[in-house]
Amino acid sequence: MKRFILFLTLLALLIPSTVYAQEQNPWGEVFDDNGNLRSDLVDLGVTTEHPDWMSVELPFGQSLNLDADYHRYQTANGNVVVLPSASTLFFMAMNPYESGLANSVGMMGNGYGGMITFLGAVAGNNIDWGRLSTDHPEYKNPDQFWGAVLNGQQDVWTYFSGWGFITTLLQMSWNDTALRTAYLMYLNGAQNCASIPGGCSGVVNPPPPQPKICPEPKVTIQQPTISIQKTAPSNPLVVGQDTENRRGADVQARVTIPPVIFTWYEPIYEDEEVCEPSTTVGGAPVCRTESVFKECREHVEHLPDAVASMQATAALDAASQAWITGKLGQTHYGAYIHQANFILIPGLGSWIGGCDGGGTCTATGQALKVPFADPGTFDLRLNVVTTGTRFMGIPITQPRQLSADGKLQVYVTLPALVP
Amino acid sequence: MKEIPVLKRNIIVAIILAFVIALGIIAIQALPLHNGSQPSVSNQEDTLASKAAAAALEAFFHVDYRYEKDIWLNNVCAVSTPTGCQFISAGADLLWSKFQEARADVTATVTPQEKVAETATEQVWKMLIALSAPLPGSNKIQDTAYVAVIKTDNGWKFDRFLLEPEIKAILVRQTMTVTPVKEGK
Repeated sequence: MKRFILFLTLLALLIPSTVYAQEQNPWGEVFDDNGNLRSDLVDLGVTTEHPDWMSVELPFGQSLNLDADYHRYQTANGNVVVLPSASTLFFMAMNPYESGLANSVGMMGNGYGGMITFLGAVAGNNIDWGRLSTDHPEYKNPDQFWGAVLNGQQDVWTYFSGWGFITTLLQMSWNDTALRTAYLMYLNGAQNCASIPGGCSGVVNPPPPQPKICPEPKVTIQQPTISIQKTAPSNPLVVGQDTENRRGADVQARVTIPPVIFTWYEPIYEDEEVCEPSTTVGGAPVCRTESVFKECREHVEHLPDAVASMQATAALDAASQAWITGKLGQTHYGAYIHQANFILIPGLGSWIGGCDGGGTCTATGQALKVPFADPGTFDLRLNVVTTGTRFMGIPITQPRQLSADGKLQVYVTLPALVP
Repeated sequence: MKEIPVLKRNIIVAIILAFVIALGIIAIQALPLHNGSQPSVSNQEDTLASKAAAAALEAFFHVDYRYEKDIWLNNVCAVSTPTGCQFISAGADLLWSKFQEARADVTATVTPQEKVAETATEQVWKMLIALSAPLPGSNKIQDTAYVAVIKTDNGWKFDRFLLEPEIKAILVRQTMTVTPVKEGK
């Protein structure tokens, strides 16, 4: 349970929902107005190092060199954003100067406030706060203590009262790559790449900035169509009354995702000979070749946003459950709910999907002969997650979560006395 | 009133006996609670925890370059927590390649020395390790290790080697807790 709460806390830290682009703020080069990573970021990929500050000294002069890994992005102006894994970030916080953490601008949005929240979440339960407050009454709250640790003014190791959390942290960072919570900004990181976490691996030396003469690229996202429904038979009967075939019902889920339209403009230059009259009387004109801007050429890309995962479920609604245990139970003693919930896809069924040449992606899932044993209305739910789109290795749109609902009626035959 | 004659020699013997007994009491009180070769195992949980630490260290320092790394790792992981197994596995590649290059063939005998810290489900033990031969990069065949063990559903398991700053912090804390006792005597 504690790990689950920790996981939720870290996920909450991850969501960049409160970050807005600000041109005066370097973070404006990283996130757009919706809090998504900007399309002009260069994804430098994941870099792994074995720094001294993540080395565990062992007896007999041996050592275990733990991986420090970072996912890094380079902004258009040559700043570098570093996302350390959870364990790497913890060791960076414990060694702020050796790790280069102290040289960063700070975490996304709120400086080191997010870092303090991170430390409180992963290590707060393992600090002997009683002893700390006795030794250091000057810290009025945990945030002041973590702030002193991050500034290198306070040794944190003296006050740890537990040990297992460090290996738990390592496991989390390996199993849950989503736990990359901290965005650290290194101004001019591309030029000074030797001194930033991850070094110069993959860093692009930015060309000199050119005046913006073409429009900004545009992204158009079209609405997908998504549905979940029963396909057969027309009137499904509870399997308990269909003892020979136990037919059940078939459920189909479909999603069609139109391509993301990415429009960008390429400045086109042409070489022209420019001549100036000679400075000497009767002399030949002085000519040179210049690259002259002619036009902005528009490129329209249809980017596929494929289906990454599909999940479908069926749940007997509350009214049907009440009818079975109430009204039906009065006339048919012992009536009970056999199975109210089904995981249809993946589970009883499966799905396949793909994208065509035009960038439209589809996925279809089927669960056949689902053995519904209770009469009533089942609420069908379909959840789909997409991969997001990229163009020339640069993320254009983030993964989307799509969902749809449907209904499925299951029937039962009840005997009745006819006068 | 009845007079009891006491020989002067008996009085001297009695005084000497009293002096020797007093010295003996002082000497017993001054003896350390445990010596370096005996574990300070106070109850069954401590015994189990220290055995888990010893088993893990013996597996960790049982190095035979002729075997694959995974065999060595599996032996360590069998007596470790899942997270402790990953901790060792994370740095195992470099370590094992170093062992193989040096053709290391070593076994270890491990003795629990002292429980230096604990919580309800965790203990930290100082362990004495004796190797059959030195490991590459060192001439020592005897060294100490500080290790954390954790109580799991499957009993006590090795979790990890403590980091240098953690060891220093524990040693400083021990010094601070011992000092007032001496002053009080």
